[in-house]
Amino acid sequence: MTDEKTASPGRPRSRRAVLAGTAGLTVATSGCVRQVRTVVNRDAVDQLSVTIVTLPADGDREGIRLAREVAAVLEAVGVDVSVDMRSNEEFLRAILINHEFDLYVGRHPGGTDPDLLYEALHSVYAEESGWQNPFGYANLQLDDLLEAQRRADGEEREAVVAELLEELAREQPFVPICVPEEHRFVRTDRFDGWGEAHPATRLGYLELEAGDDVDRLRTAHTDARISENLNPLTAEYRDHEPFLELVYDSLATERDGEIEPWLAEDWTYDDGTLWVRLREDCRFHDDEPLDADDVEFSYRLLQDTELEGGESPSPPPRYRGLAAAVEGIDVDGELDLEFELDAGEAVAERVLTVPILPEHVWADRAAPATVRGVSVAQGATEAVTVDNVPPVGSGPFRFGSRTEREHVTLERFDDHFTRREGVDLPEASVEELRIQIDPRSTSAIELVNTDGADITSAILETYVLDDLEPAPETAPLESPSWTFYHLGFNTRRAPFANARFRRAVAGLLDKDWLVEDVFHGYAAPTATPVTEEWTPEELAWNGEDPATPFFGSDGELDVNAAREAFEDAGFSYDDGALRVRR
Amino acid sequence: MYAEVLTRVLTQVAVVVGILLLTSIALFVGRGRLVTTAREWRSRLQATAPAVAVLAAVLGLNRVVRWRGDEIEGAIGFHMTETFYDLEGEFVLLFQSIATEELTAYFSFIYVYGYAFLLIFPGIAYFALSDTRTFRRLLTAYSLNYVLGLAFYLLVIAYGPRNVMPEELTVTMLYDNSPEYQHLTREVNRNTNVFPSLHTSLAATVGVFAYITRSSYPYWFPVAAVLAASVAVSTMYLGIHWAIDVVAGLVLAGVCVRLSGVLVGRQPVARFRRYLDRRPTPRDDRE
Repeated sequence: MTDEKTASPGRPRSRRAVLAGTAGLTVATSGCVRQVRTVVNRDAVDQLSVTIVTLPADGDREGIRLAREVAAVLEAVGVDVSVDMRSNEEFLRAILINHEFDLYVGRHPGGTDPDLLYEALHSVYAEESGWQNPFGYANLQLDDLLEAQRRADGEEREAVVAELLEELAREQPFVPICVPEEHRFVRTDRFDGWGEAHPATRLGYLELEAGDDVDRLRTAHTDARISENLNPLTAEYRDHEPFLELVYDSLATERDGEIEPWLAEDWTYDDGTLWVRLREDCRFHDDEPLDADDVEFSYRLLQDTELEGGESPSPPPRYRGLAAAVEGIDVDGELDLEFELDAGEAVAERVLTVPILPEHVWADRAAPATVRGVSVAQGATEAVTVDNVPPVGSGPFRFGSRTEREHVTLERFDDHFTRREGVDLPEASVEELRIQIDPRSTSAIELVNTDGADITSAILETYVLDDLEPAPETAPLESPSWTFYHLGFNTRRAPFANARFRRAVAGLLDKDWLVEDVFHGYAAPTATPVTEEWTPEELAWNGEDPATPFFGSDGELDVNAAREAFEDAGFSYDDGALRVRR
Repeated sequence: MYAEVLTRVLTQVAVVVGILLLTSIALFVGRGRLVTTAREWRSRLQATAPAVAVLAAVLGLNRVVRWRGDEIEGAIGFHMTETFYDLEGEFVLLFQSIATEELTAYFSFIYVYGYAFLLIFPGIAYFALSDTRTFRRLLTAYSLNYVLGLAFYLLVIAYGPRNVMPEELTVTMLYDNSPEYQHLTREVNRNTNVFPSLHTSLAATVGVFAYITRSSYPYWFPVAAVLAASVAVSTMYLGIHWAIDVVAGLVLAGVCVRLSGVLVGRQPVARFRRYLDRRPTPRDDRE
């Protein structure tokens, strides 16, 4: 229901033709043709009819409830709304790949560093598919700020980011709603070290200490997609999970927002140049050596999955923003690389966190994907569409086996550099990691309670949290959160290109109330899409939205005030319906 | 672990349904019919083999298409959740107002165990009748239910109430109260297959057959009627189906029972043989 043709089934598409026909017959002789033409040649201005795309409760219980609430307030101000629910993959395909939406409600992967906004909003990405600018938003002033924060460091960067967030709060290309808390449930009798590092990152699993005679780590994962596709570049199947990070190494790894060496032994940065030295004798899981050429290849692939073989570049739907900071790479022997970067030190280090892929596996995938009889969209190379089973990486775990919608089993990679003498990095303490698919939070918790799993590895839905009962062997685990729920606008479509309109919509949302009602209080309302430490004081939550205050109080929308806001923004009402030219 | 939970649930279902079946055979079928059946089972099996084979094939197809259907659905299906929601709104929440712990337990039991029993028992009861037509009709009606239901599943992409109004349905939602059952239903279904309710249509089919055969099985009819009605209500009570799905299920049941009467003759095997005899071979065609 999101394409133009069906978005408003009630639209009297041919009215003009009909009017012109009949009017022409009756009036032509009377000489008033010109006047008739000036009347009927004006496009009808219809009630605004929008579709909100979101996930069903099986995919995102909070998402569908938020979408319903958004639909209710939009209807209150005279918009015709329908909610379109899609499964996990279809939802992301509609939003990220095909841009088939008016509005959507969902969780953004977010990040600990404000550079995530470069990828999310830079106007050069408005035409691309993926997490890069799904909103189709274009604002030259914002582009300048996005670029400036990349190049800056320290206090200068903080100042630019603050300015950037102010502009964002004014423009509302999407409405950040809240940051949901991350809760998991773990067994404490078999493993120690839960929460040493974030459980959505590789270190969260490598920091664990296995008890005596424990050689297997079992997770209950509520999202089946990991069992269906193991490609780090496929946006539709990736979520907030650490498992591919355990299979694929990156040059550096993130711990509590700081970047630490990983596959790279060391690096130095000076004025846009980054010298990186790899660890010696690293191998992929198929025993092929990993050298600087693979690293250089990985960054080239992340910039263009056709490796410059196509008419124009086909960037992947993930890692786009980070890979774009790389202007050139010189390979200097087997272990040394020199990166030319359009980035200051802070962002330059983040560039090192992308997965390193084996050239001997991925080189052949740099060709347009072919499905017999189907014309494939530009950018749909095999590198992006292949399910990548089995994945061949160089990480601390290698692929073992999988059954779709049942499990993925990883085995320890004994040659990994973390297991070497003299390397002081956390290593896998178990021989096997089994990711058990269990589609509901309630039953995943039950698995942990009955010693069928050690952790619920996906974030628990908030409605089960009040009932969590810790026992001597189990405990809830709360982790810092940087994902955020948001209302996304497709600014390619009227009237969402209009910032005044978007601001008026933002004012319809009582984020405080939504957090209580939808998230049972297990979320923090927010006016910015970045973590607290990056949020300037003026935009910090202070009991109400500092950027777009709610038209009303306690979840009760002041409909008159809200409608006035739309009228002030230049829109008109007719018979209670918000009329919009599209 | 997943497989263990599934095995445990399946065993549980098998045991409970087994006990129900044995009791019902003793109560409704009776010794006399069993003795005759023991004598005539070969010829009855022969007479009913085509209907059994068709049902088996349909169930096999059903299994494949339901899981691999997402590609077809994506190409030809219509997203209808919002249409259903607009049409009936929060009607199914009506059942929330009468919800009690006992009722939730009852309807959960009916949805899983009662339903399985309701579908299997008539198969046994009608096989125990000397005239095999009812048995053949029943199996044909089951097959039709699955084939027609499947066609709708491919055409209509819709999520059930539990996916649209999760919070309002928390109290009674089957999978939150009894998470183990999701393993069972997940084996046979996808969450966008809600229109029509096959639980309802198959249960109603059994109900209608119980009515038709009430002279043979007078005491089975009231039992079947209560069970069938309970199954239909349970799908809404537990938040799995919309009222529209249930109504569509009832219509589907009516269509299938009627069609089975048309398709299944008194002597189908004989007719089938005659048809085979009469059918010209391709060679004959050319000459």
